[in-house]
Parts: sequence; C-alpha cells; structure tokens
Amino acid sequence: MKGKEEKAMTNKTLIMPTAVAGAGVETEATPVRGRVVKSKWTRDLLTFLMVFGPGLIVMVADNDAGAVSTYSQAGAQYGTHLLWIVLLLLPVCYFIQEMVVRLGIATGKGHAAMIYQRFGKWWGLFSLVDLQLVNFLTLVTEFAAINLALSKMGVDPRYGVPLAAACLIMLVLTGSYRRWERIVVFLCLLDFAWFWIAFRLGPPIGQIVKHALVPSMPAGGITPDLMFLVIAIVGTTIAPWQLFFQQSCIADKRLRFADLRWARLDTFLGACVTVTAAVCMMIAGAASHAHGFHFTDPAQMAADIGTYAGPAMRDLILLMMINAAVLGTTAISLSSAWAYGEVRGWPHSLQLPWREARGFYALYLLSVAAAAGIVLIPRAPLQLIILGVQVLAGVILPSAIIFLQLLLNDKELLGEYANKPWNNWVNWTIIVVLFILSLILAAQVTAPNLFPST
Amino acid sequence: MTTKNDRYVVVHPLDDVFETKVDTEALGPMAMTRSVRFSLLSLRAYLILMVLMVVYHVMMLAR
Repeated sequence: MKGKEEKAMTNKTLIMPTAVAGAGVETEATPVRGRVVKSKWTRDLLTFLMVFGPGLIVMVADNDAGAVSTYSQAGAQYGTHLLWIVLLLLPVCYFIQEMVVRLGIATGKGHAAMIYQRFGKWWGLFSLVDLQLVNFLTLVTEFAAINLALSKMGVDPRYGVPLAAACLIMLVLTGSYRRWERIVVFLCLLDFAWFWIAFRLGPPIGQIVKHALVPSMPAGGITPDLMFLVIAIVGTTIAPWQLFFQQSCIADKRLRFADLRWARLDTFLGACVTVTAAVCMMIAGAASHAHGFHFTDPAQMAADIGTYAGPAMRDLILLMMINAAVLGTTAISLSSAWAYGEVRGWPHSLQLPWREARGFYALYLLSVAAAAGIVLIPRAPLQLIILGVQVLAGVILPSAIIFLQLLLNDKELLGEYANKPWNNWVNWTIIVVLFILSLILAAQVTAPNLFPST
Repeated sequence: MTTKNDRYVVVHPLDDVFETKVDTEALGPMAMTRSVRFSLLSLRAYLILMVLMVVYHVMMLAR
C-alpha cells in the first residue's frame, strides 16, 4: 500500500489489504477501509460514533407502544408518584445490557445461539419458543398502537397499518446493516420530542425532582392495581427481547474487543435517554389526569391533551406513539429473526441481500405482516392486551436473566470478560427483586384479599 | 485502530477484518454442576407456574 495509501491518506481515507491471511477467519480478502485522524480525541470520538448504535437502539426501542401506554397510564393514575421507580430502573437496565455487550463482543454470536450451545437443545428451544411467543404478542400490541394512533389522526388504519408494515419491511431489505442502523438511530433521536412534550405539559419542576428522587407511595397505599402497574413498568423497562436483540446486533455489527468501552458508553447513554423519555411519558399522563381526564389508552390521552394544549400537541403525541411502535416493531422482529436464524444455522445478517438470507428475512416479514394483519381483523380490548403482554414479559424476564447470569459466570466461555464478584452481587440483587415482584403478582392472583383494595 | 506517524486510523467494525472470537462450538455444552442443574429445574417449574397465573389474571381482568 504505497502510492495508493499516500493518496488515500490525503483524502482522510485509508484503504489497505488485510494482513491476516491464513488466520481461519472469513474475510481475509476484504480490504480494510479506515479514516485517518490526527488527534486522540478525534480518534476516540470517531470510534465511538462508529460503535454507537446497538445500545441506543435497544434502549429507545424498549420505549415501545406498550411502554408509552404503561408509563402514561402510571402517570394518569398516580401522577408523578412513581417517577422514582423509573429512575431506579436506569442502573438495572444498564447492568443487564452491559452483560449482553460483553457476551456479544466476546463470542461474536447471538444470545439464542449461546443458550443453545451451552445449555443444550431443550433449553435452547425453550428460550426460543418463549421469545418468539412474547415477541409476536408484543408485535400485535405495536400494530394495535399504530392502529389507535392513526384512527385518532383521522387516517384510515386499513391503509395506514399495511403502509407502516410495508415501510418496516423495506427498512431491513436494503442489504446494509449501516443503512438500517442510520435510519433507526434517526428515529431514536426523534424520541427527544418527549422532552418538549413534558416541558410544555409538565407539573412544577420541584415536584418532578422530589418524586423522582424521594421514594413515595400514592394516596391509597399498596393496592393490587398499583402492584400490577409496577410489575408492568418493570416488565416494559427490561424486556427479554432486549437481551437477544442487542447481542445479535453486536454480532451482526461485528464489534471488536477494543470497542467494549464505547459499546458500554453507547448502552449507558441509551439507558439515560430511555429512562428520561419514560419520565416524560409519565408526566404527560399526569398532565391529562390533572385536567380531569380519565385514562383509557395513550391515543385517547393525546386527544384529551389536545383539547387544551392544541391539535399540534395532540398530533405530536400520536406521532411519537407511532414512532415508538415502529422502533419496537423493527427491534423485536429482528430479535426474533436473528434468534431463529442463529438456532437453525441460517444466514442471518442485515448485511446480506434477500437472496442470500431468505429464511431470516422471511421470518421478519412474516412476523410483521401477521401482527399487522391480526390487528386489522377483530376489535380486541387493546389496552388490556398491551398491559398483559408487559406483565407476561416481566414474568418471563427472570429466566432470561438467569441464563445470562450463568453464561456471564462461564469462565471457560468468557475468560477475563466473565462477571466479577461485584457484578454478581448487583445481578443477583436484580434477579431477587424481579423474582419478588413476580411472586407478589402470584400472591395477588391466588390471594387477591392479601392487599387492601382501593 | 492503528497508529502511524502520529496519525490514527479508525476503522468501522464492518470494514475491519474478522476478529478471532471464542470458539463456542468447540467448547460444547456447559458443565452441568449440581447448582446449575438445580437452578434450571427450578426455573422450569417457576416459569410454568407463573405463565399459568398471568394468563389466569389477564383473563379475569378481561371479564
């Protein structure tokens, strides 16, 4: 790489052949194309921007339609009293997803493949079926939300829902991971509109800070409804598909060991954005409640808010609801398709064109199309389905985290990237809390009189 | 990333060569110690019970 490299370096771009022939890896013939920079600061910034993506996407996509519904319902029923619970979930989100980052970078494989290989076919299949079931039900709720929002905007869902599904399918069919990631990151950044919505509608900042930092219970104390909602909040903030999605995404993006600290930063920033957006959604719900509206679903909440904040605010909330559903749909469908492709041994990369990964893309397409189709057929109690799915995900989550915890303690697999003792303390604490919440739900179901009624 | 004459080359992960990762297939299944086996069996029972309870709960709410 003599003259060619010199010329390239003046253009701030370097192209050189790889030097690892015979290493047994798949792309020895692929030339390395890099950017040349002069300062360490620029190098670090550019590296971060190149690594940035999976962490932000997984976190923001977690604020999907179900999350918008759950958070705004929490705000509508309990005002800003539950903000501290959402804030408490920030470190929980980060620590869980950070383990996924380590596992993905160290193995270069997805979570489903790891469970399959390390725990055997039975557990691999068990996890896969669980994942596919919860994911599909969640996809139905995403399209249900799109349906609701479009109806409130005066758009016929019979055209709007299939159009949204078609756009979501086109999004992944470009044969370029980078193109998909750029579009999705752009959609993630639109989430910042929630900050403006909360700013416009929000109660006094002092009240928000107080309820975010000082744990308090709403008037009426601990009731079955409150417990159910708290479990739904936990279930929507930490979902099983996130573990599968981020690890597969990291594997597809081929993140390297040297990228670990930037991937951690990406995940941490994503966790901050998603928790802050969740707080904003809760504030929006609280604002509608403060004006005397009864919460039925987020689309109705947007319409209610529109009566005093103007139609522009109503449409903005509805558009954000659609954006949340679109982000959730692409991430959840991909986690299903990646997981299935990994277990079946199919080619499963967004870098591949359709003809080279037909099974992978077909599963994505079928998931999206079937969920969109189901929403258009009957009139179901959508709000109940949304909340029920979040609770189901919250109950299944402990198992997914236990697999993660066992894998992260597998020194044979991860070596120096395995959990440290303090990681285990934090993670077992999280697992115990999740189990306790699930057991409270069980107690509530089996002995409803255990808690005082409202 | 490599350093050359005070210049740094930053390579996008997708443009870089494949990094050698842990050969998970060669490792085979995880050693099923008593504690791992116990936790997995407990998990199975827990999951079945919890899913049934949640389904029941959602159905009651839907009535």
